[in-house]
Amino acid sequence: MGSDDAVLVLVELGTDKEIMPLSLECATAAKRLAEIWGGRTVALIMGNGVAAAAREMACYGVDDVLLVDHPALDGYQAELYVSAFLQVWERQKPKAILMGDSLISVDMAPRLAFSLDAGLITDCVAIKVDETDVSFVKPVYSSNVMAVYAFASEPWIVTLRPRTEDAAPREDTGHSQVIPVEVKLDLSAMKTEVIQRVIERDEGVKLAEAHIVVSGGRGIGGPDGFEQLVELAKVLNAAVGASRPPCDLGWAPSQWQVGQTGAKVAPSVYIAAGISGAAQHIAGMQSSKKIVAINRDPKANIFRIANYGVVGTCEEVVPAFREALAEILR
Amino acid sequence: MEIIVCIKQVPDPEGSQDCFVINREALRVEPRGIPPVLSLFDENALEAALRVKDARKERDVKITVVSMGKRISNPVLQKALAAGADALVKVEDDVFESGALDSYATAYVLASTIRKIGKYDLVFAGRQAADWNAGQVGFGIAHLLGIPAVALVRKVEVEGRHAISERVTASGYEIVKTPLPALLVTSNEVGEMRYPTVIQRREAKKKPVVSWGMAEVGFERRVQNRLVLKGLFAPEMRKRQCHFIEGETAAEAGRKLAQRLRTDGVI
Repeated sequence: MGSDDAVLVLVELGTDKEIMPLSLECATAAKRLAEIWGGRTVALIMGNGVAAAAREMACYGVDDVLLVDHPALDGYQAELYVSAFLQVWERQKPKAILMGDSLISVDMAPRLAFSLDAGLITDCVAIKVDETDVSFVKPVYSSNVMAVYAFASEPWIVTLRPRTEDAAPREDTGHSQVIPVEVKLDLSAMKTEVIQRVIERDEGVKLAEAHIVVSGGRGIGGPDGFEQLVELAKVLNAAVGASRPPCDLGWAPSQWQVGQTGAKVAPSVYIAAGISGAAQHIAGMQSSKKIVAINRDPKANIFRIANYGVVGTCEEVVPAFREALAEILR
Repeated sequence: MEIIVCIKQVPDPEGSQDCFVINREALRVEPRGIPPVLSLFDENALEAALRVKDARKERDVKITVVSMGKRISNPVLQKALAAGADALVKVEDDVFESGALDSYATAYVLASTIRKIGKYDLVFAGRQAADWNAGQVGFGIAHLLGIPAVALVRKVEVEGRHAISERVTASGYEIVKTPLPALLVTSNEVGEMRYPTVIQRREAKKKPVVSWGMAEVGFERRVQNRLVLKGLFAPEMRKRQCHFIEGETAAEAGRKLAQRLRTDGVI
């Protein structure tokens, strides 16, 4: 280890300490960048009791896996994770650091950037390579414009949106080495204290894994409208989503949010009920295979990207639609 | 208690795509036919600050709004004063052209401005600006001021010399305790900013507004950007031909939609 042209992937783990698919997509991006520079790819796993995840990560074609296993890193806590990362940095100073775009990187990536005096490109949707020139595409102006950025200094930090790259394939042989890195964490020096962690387990189908997503917007009318959508989702075995306004108004939990500030989904079918189609919402769902829109305004933007449309209020359309589907799918 | 809220003026992000005209040569986005507004995420930040003010028994909370830009419109920022902020500090300079400064340089200017204001217990920032969407400046301000930052805050209460915040996580939320002074990056889940009344709007015009230039806040041109903007282009909208399903009533159209999706093998 040392200062080199390495590209480091900061691996994110799920609630069961499993590797998030997005981190494997980052591994693919890391390989692309490392090839240009002739550098190594390094994956960094941080957490408590995560040695198994590190061994698993070694199967995805990265050159090294660094493992920081520490009881204090049980669950993300900004100050501790940043402190641990900076200690790894003392031993390995990669040219680029890649993270998946998530609620963790939204918090951690800017902290790392300012700590390392590094540039950061968040929410990158494409990496452009022109010989040795590398630039990154990112939506700006609520996804109405795309900006192309390059770095003026090193190191680089980039957070990647899901599906920017294919996930690195699992390889049967030639697994990389897992290198444990010791860190010292002084809990008494931490200013912010986590008093309580509350897990709100969603009973239904997960947004990221759903083949069908049923999503509601302001036109749903209120929390009652979302109860209707939950019923519709049950009939279709679908996940429930929402545009930003219902989440801001407390009609729907924030975990349901689809769009630039929420989940980015691409299911087989996306049913948008009472969603007008603001660019920031479309950014999170336009890759869906088929889009069905229900909206009272025939001129609503959502119809421009929909395959099927019904003009009418959700109050009238949704219950009838659900009953007919229940009949058909019985 | 002194609270500072950072608010950016942006072209209305709800405008349609053709309102955002791209000047490829100058690497600028020139909004057409849409008014400047307060960045929605910063309105969330101000709302969170106003709730702290509402809850404070001592009635000693002063909220100062800080806004930086090339030129800041008084009527636009007056909305923040009308909603309940007490004072406005504008930092205006030609070098603050939209997009000219990256997050690092922006954070530097805002941190210098906050230092010049001097007293602060809580600083609020939105999760990202509705124009360049970088989502970094709040953290940068905290770093430069040397105060702790808590991000994705949807609710906050002040207890003694601590902020108790609820922050959004992927699987739910967590409650964290941070000593003051602290910076809170709010999430959009805070909710919409309250709507000012006509009387509040009138009163807002009497509230103090100061304007500082680049030199007054100690910004030097040698603060280098870490990023270079290389190009701008319009995103491809995947336009599709929409088949409208009609019926005698909306309910009938809903039933027909179900049948059509079945016939076409969509469901």
